[in-house]
Amino acid sequence: MNPYSQNASGQNSVSATVDATLRLVANLPAPQGIEDRILVGLRTAPRTARVLHWPVPLRSSTGAAGSWMRSAAAAAIVMVVAGGGWGIYTHVQPPQPNRVIVMPQRMAAPGGFSSAGAMRTPQTLNGPVIAQPAAASSVQLKPLKKAAAHPATTPPRHPRPVATAKADAQLSAPPAQ
Amino acid sequence: MSASQAVFSGWMEIPETAAHDRDRIQAEEATLAAMVSQYAGALYRVAFSVLRNASDAEDAVQEAFLRVLRHRDTLGEVRDQRVWLIRIVWNIVLDRKRRAKTRPETDDVSELARVLPSSGLTAEQIASAAQHHAHVLGCIDKLPVKERQVLQLSAFEELSSVEIAQVLGITESSVRSRLFRARNLMAGLLNHSRSLR
Repeated sequence: MNPYSQNASGQNSVSATVDATLRLVANLPAPQGIEDRILVGLRTAPRTARVLHWPVPLRSSTGAAGSWMRSAAAAAIVMVVAGGGWGIYTHVQPPQPNRVIVMPQRMAAPGGFSSAGAMRTPQTLNGPVIAQPAAASSVQLKPLKKAAAHPATTPPRHPRPVATAKADAQLSAPPAQ
Repeated sequence: MSASQAVFSGWMEIPETAAHDRDRIQAEEATLAAMVSQYAGALYRVAFSVLRNASDAEDAVQEAFLRVLRHRDTLGEVRDQRVWLIRIVWNIVLDRKRRAKTRPETDDVSELARVLPSSGLTAEQIASAAQHHAHVLGCIDKLPVKERQVLQLSAFEELSSVEIAQVLGITESSVRSRLFRARNLMAGLLNHSRSLR
């Protein structure tokens, strides 16, 4: 026996084994009462949806007339749906653009710093200054300086500045002729 | 009856009330019952060869006849009802098999041991035979889909290669070439498993 025929016989035995198994599965008897169960299932199965038939006077028209009526009804339904959609489309206004007042952009302070909310106030003029005689003002300052120079010494109770005394003397003396 | 009721009944008549509709439905039911009694067994075997589960196979046959019920208006256009029905149940079974891939496989050995002919065989022999068949079926499951489908359908003696081609939607020459390829692949798989033992 050549190897080819041996291989072929081996393949035949394998295919016989496979066929035997597949035939065994394929020839299994159906379970008892399967037909009855299927028929019961078919009877209890929901039928197709009920469709309202054409009105009696229109039902007599069969064939081409009936198909024409169906087409007309379908077209009418399409028209109603399309008309409704168009009506909604035309009645609904497109949204108006928002009216916004554009604020001018705030200018940044020169130098890169912000004003931090500080309000600028205009420079105003100085208030009225009461003019005093220059001599009086200069004389009055002297005892203060002296007092500051000698803080340890007890000041007189009622110090009378020298300049003041001199001034008093000048005021009391008669003017020289 | 008021006028409005009369108008309503005239415009909205339900089909079951008509006598000819009742006759038509009865005729359809009789045709369907004849089909069930004639082909239910064959459809069950086709379904079982793929699903290998009794209840799943019966459900598949039930679903196939429900589909027939839904399309009963086109029954007159069917040339070969047997091939048509096998094609329906075949598609259902393949769909179920695809969906059931996530589920654990059913126990083929115990199912086969239940259905094996037990005349003149001991329990050990039956168990051994069941294991052998389960091993062969496991090898068949390893085949590519196209070859496996042809091999499974070829086991049905009532199906010719032309009818297998009709069920699968391919040519008869494709059936033959796929069958040849499937047998070669099966020989390789079985020899490989024998050499491993």
